[in-house]
Amino acid sequence: MRVLLAEDDAMLGDGLRAGLRQAGFQVDWVRDGMAAERELASGVYAAGVLDLGLPLRDGLEVLKALRERKNATPILVLTARDAVAQRVIGLDSGADDYVVKPVDLHELAARLRSLVRRSLGQLQDTMRCGDVALDASARRVTLRSEVVALSTREYDLLHALMRNTGRVLSREQLEQQMYSWGHEVESNTIEVHIHHLRRKLGSDLIQTVRGVGYTVQREPPPA
Amino acid sequence: MKGTPGQPSMQTRLLLLVLGFATAVWLLSAAFTWREAQHEVDELLDSHLVQAASLLLVQSDGDIDDLFDTPVLQRYAPHVAFQVYIGKQMLSHSANTGNEPMSSLVPGFSTVLRGEDLWRVITLHSARLDITVLVGEKVDSRRAILWALMRSLVGPLLIALPLFGLCLWWSIRLGLAPLRGLRETLERRSPQAVEPVPLDGLPTELQPLVQTLNALLARIGEMVQFERRFTADAAHELRTPIAAIRAQAQVAMGAGEDQVQRHHALQTTLAGCDRASRLVEQLLTLARLDSSAAASFATVDLAPVVQRVAAELAPAALQRHQELVLQAEGVFAVAADEILLGVLVRNLLDNALRYSPPGAQVLISLERRAGATCLLVEDSGAGMSEEQIAHLGERFFRVLGNEQSGSGLGWSIVRRLLAVFSAQVQIDRSPTLGGLRVQVLWPK
Repeated sequence: MRVLLAEDDAMLGDGLRAGLRQAGFQVDWVRDGMAAERELASGVYAAGVLDLGLPLRDGLEVLKALRERKNATPILVLTARDAVAQRVIGLDSGADDYVVKPVDLHELAARLRSLVRRSLGQLQDTMRCGDVALDASARRVTLRSEVVALSTREYDLLHALMRNTGRVLSREQLEQQMYSWGHEVESNTIEVHIHHLRRKLGSDLIQTVRGVGYTVQREPPPA
Repeated sequence: MKGTPGQPSMQTRLLLLVLGFATAVWLLSAAFTWREAQHEVDELLDSHLVQAASLLLVQSDGDIDDLFDTPVLQRYAPHVAFQVYIGKQMLSHSANTGNEPMSSLVPGFSTVLRGEDLWRVITLHSARLDITVLVGEKVDSRRAILWALMRSLVGPLLIALPLFGLCLWWSIRLGLAPLRGLRETLERRSPQAVEPVPLDGLPTELQPLVQTLNALLARIGEMVQFERRFTADAAHELRTPIAAIRAQAQVAMGAGEDQVQRHHALQTTLAGCDRASRLVEQLLTLARLDSSAAASFATVDLAPVVQRVAAELAPAALQRHQELVLQAEGVFAVAADEILLGVLVRNLLDNALRYSPPGAQVLISLERRAGATCLLVEDSGAGMSEEQIAHLGERFFRVLGNEQSGSGLGWSIVRRLLAVFSAQVQIDRSPTLGGLRVQVLWPK
């Protein structure tokens, strides 16, 4: 899952980025409000972590602007202010969750996963499609209850597809959801990963829509 | 609220003062009246004595005996007396006298003691008839007149004085009602309340008092506000480094086999601890400065202070390949505290070094300008825009895009110190190095 981290403090930003990466997120880090607003508007992020005391543009303003443009990206607000009034303002401005510094990295990751899950209308962390089940909190994929070993990229690709069950995602969309900044993506990378996934999980799960992209259907077509 | 013992209330004091003065004035006027009345009564009664004596003298030609049987004379007999002599021979006398003359037979007034009483006696002598008439009157009866006069004067007052006191007590109470009202208003306020006491309805005498009180309340309110904001800001500012430390420590724990990541995270954790402790240090300095009023200082030579601070900070500058130059020739005496002065110079120099890139030049120099002492800190860094300079010294303001972990507290400290030292500061672009130039001026 690709998330945007908006935090102006160098030391904290560095730590959060590293921690979220350890938790399996693809993290892009911006240091001011303008950049945060610009990046979140792109819609490629599954969620955003927004510090309220951002320079150039306050976190709350970023949040309001985002919501006014009907951008529903789940946003977790990170702040040093813990007054109830502040929290109420934050949540009323469109924040989906509110965490006061200092925050436990595991908790932050869990909250982010929960945010993404809720934004997708799922009640549990496990997504199912036929015989395949994906447990996002454990980053584990099973086929007929047997654990299947997947590489990070393969997992991310499957996660992106299963999160968007029923929708067709283009190669570019998949790349955007899987790779944070600074990663060179070769032209056939997605195809290679798709190939591996089909080999490990069966060819029925992921379908190709020629000239458009790939999709995972809610119920796989009968064999 | 109980007054301090030995301090009578304003009400009692006013009451006693007014009553005391009123009584004194009245006593004085009574004494004056007594004296005047005594004089007048003596004069009047003496003339009556003379008249009576003259009448007796005239009557002595005829038979005067039947004259004294009248009841009117009987009634006043104990108070008056007369004797009529022809030559040395007693002709007639009142019942309360004997043959002995009441006084010497020398004509004129005299006051004599008869028995137990003092008598006022007039002696008249007619040479033609050789008749001497003595008419006496008890002095006591004169006193009685005066006392009667005094009684009519004093009597009503003895009743009037307590009545007057009561009215006075009530009037004063009524007059001091606004004061009591103010006291009750103040008593009802919560100890935390800092809003002004309303002035309307207060008498002119109390207005300046309440205005002064309100000014004091306003100052206290500002201080409380400031303290609250400062505490909130400080807590907020401490949370970020702590969050960073926590995040980095967790990253180190979760790094697994990744030695590079673990090392980096641990390094950053340590740096975070340094940063947090530096922040605490600054907050403490600021708190101490905020509570210390502008004191009077002894004269201190700035040059050795600057040298000491420069020497302390030089190793850090060298590590970042920054060139630190000191120009301070001579003695630069300023009125300041040496330790606080060190804090000021350290903050200025530390800022210049911290916010200049590696390899930058930093120049600290001392100058004398028209008698004023000037401390200059210049660097070859990026400098600041006018807007940024305007924000300097706002607590927790930091320039964007700076990798250095500052809190913006350094400038708050500098500003506060300058206020304590009554020194001025000027911030602009360094003409020689191109970066920021800070000039601190101690006026002569």
